[in-house]
Amino acid sequence: MTRTSHLIAVLSACIIAAPIASASELTVTVEGIAKQQGSIMLGLFDEATYNGDGAVNGANLTVEGTSVSVTFEGLEPGEYAVRLYHDVNDDGEMNSNPFGMPTEPYAFSNNAQGRFGPAKWEDAKFSVEADGTAHTITMN
Amino acid sequence: MDLSRRHFLEAGFGVGVAGSLGACASPGAMLGAPGMPDWHLGYKNAPPAGFDPSPMTLAFGAVPADLKGSFYRNGPAQMQYGDQYASHWFDGDGLIHRIAIEDGQAVHQARFAETKKRREEQAAGKFLSPGFGTLGHESYSVEGPDDVNAANTSVLVVNGELLALWEAGSAFAMDAETLETRGAKTWRDDLKGMPFLAHPKVEPDGRVWNLAVGGDRVGIYRIAKTGELEDFGMVNIGRAAYIHDWTMTDRHLIILVQPWVNENLRPPVVAGFEWQPQHGLQMLIVDKDDFTNQRWAQAPARMFFHTGSAWEESDGTIKFDVVLYREPVLGVGGGAAEIRGDWTEPGANENGILTQIVIPTSGDAKLIETGINGEFPQVDPRYRGQRRRLTALCTAPSRLRPGQTALTVHDWESGQSDTFNFGESRMVEEFLFVPKSGGSTEAESWLIGTVLNLKSEVSEVCVFDAARVSDGPVCIWQAAYSWPLGFHGTWA
Repeated sequence: MTRTSHLIAVLSACIIAAPIASASELTVTVEGIAKQQGSIMLGLFDEATYNGDGAVNGANLTVEGTSVSVTFEGLEPGEYAVRLYHDVNDDGEMNSNPFGMPTEPYAFSNNAQGRFGPAKWEDAKFSVEADGTAHTITMN
Repeated sequence: MDLSRRHFLEAGFGVGVAGSLGACASPGAMLGAPGMPDWHLGYKNAPPAGFDPSPMTLAFGAVPADLKGSFYRNGPAQMQYGDQYASHWFDGDGLIHRIAIEDGQAVHQARFAETKKRREEQAAGKFLSPGFGTLGHESYSVEGPDDVNAANTSVLVVNGELLALWEAGSAFAMDAETLETRGAKTWRDDLKGMPFLAHPKVEPDGRVWNLAVGGDRVGIYRIAKTGELEDFGMVNIGRAAYIHDWTMTDRHLIILVQPWVNENLRPPVVAGFEWQPQHGLQMLIVDKDDFTNQRWAQAPARMFFHTGSAWEESDGTIKFDVVLYREPVLGVGGGAAEIRGDWTEPGANENGILTQIVIPTSGDAKLIETGINGEFPQVDPRYRGQRRRLTALCTAPSRLRPGQTALTVHDWESGQSDTFNFGESRMVEEFLFVPKSGGSTEAESWLIGTVLNLKSEVSEVCVFDAARVSDGPVCIWQAAYSWPLGFHGTWA
């Protein structure tokens, strides 16, 4: 269960950091949201922060339909990954069952899936190009 | 038992039934593989689509007029992809059977539980998921227990909903008539993905109790007969013991903490167990009305899979029956070797002995061993949690093959046992009590169960009179094919 707790901790830590001055931008679209309530809590990470507590950027997106979208501006081109969860009951936490397994939907960029823990950086990373990038994540 | 029954069972087919049985040798029968021992028939794959509803043939006897209902069973039925064998019997995908009995007719059908494991392995044509005895493939994603759920151990019907049960993940809801998979069962939003043991306990009034086991922490479900979760609580059992089954009286839950411990639940799970006999067999007794009201009882070190049922005497003494082993076993009807057609006769310490555990209100528990070597104990559902006399179980382990050859009913009051031995040509599975219409005592029950007929290479459903087991079956239905050996069933 240690890894599961880690997963929750990391997904919950959508700390909004100051944007890095740069020209590139990233639009993340989250599709397939099952319940039209609550918020998508989304964190954007680079390799250095992916397995830690802090994100390079993040967003708290109110859910009103089956999809939400956010654009991060001023990003340094390079490799990033997204972790997100759907805070269905809007309590600001990623809820879990008594054994620590998430009970709210979550996802990673590339729709990557984990194996006894969060998806690996190698599976979730994608490139933000200098002229901008759009990335879509589909909730299961 | 009269001669005609013995003649039928030993000779295979008496003259009188030969005609009707001739039709059973259909080309679609799942025949034993070349080079494999005859009993390997019980470990072969079922067809990927399961079995469409198909009438069984009444091969022997007369069907009790009051026997009407659905006999559900579950068991692993995907043991091989090409030349790749499953690593452990417990990791085969669950095939859920329904034998619908009405007006003397029995109709068999079966479907695999459509789990993620089932879907992805079927698509790939190979084993991918980690499991009890399986390491699994690196490419297979595992985000929670239900991603490796085999849904292959037992079945439960609550308020008309059929559930396929595993032990380390959710129950899977199925359509009780078509056996179509509906999906993982969530009892309450905050309990999504919590395990649901394959041995729920149903009180005579229909209320269901069950456990969720995760290391040294155990969740307790209390479910109304209408299917709603009434209560859920957590208790700590001190160590990460293997818990496949448990028991309860009308007032208390009894969680058996056997000294077979796994502190690192990583696949293959079976590799992480350690036998720690210094702890003995400990039992946590939990008040059904207040989960914080607990006491411990202590017995000598034993391993177990299955209990019968418990009751309390007027002075608070608790008694229950359980099949106990002197050391951990997986070879009794389950393991890696049998799937490949290998088997060696178990040693004396691997015998499962039907035992009564007596827990006094203070002091150590006592073990009263019957000397009966068997498995799959069952009791009358009208007497669960109540003082009772009878336990039915599979007995007489074969000297030639895995599993048992006989059905026994043991009477705890008289100390007497009543046994019918099918002989070496049949592999005997769990038998369930089905109360007779209008009866009230345990002996006024039918016993219904499955056997695998190795001579005819077909599966059979047999019915006994619980009061006269040694007389032999009251009736036998035969399928036109065989299906793999399974684990547990329920009657609804």
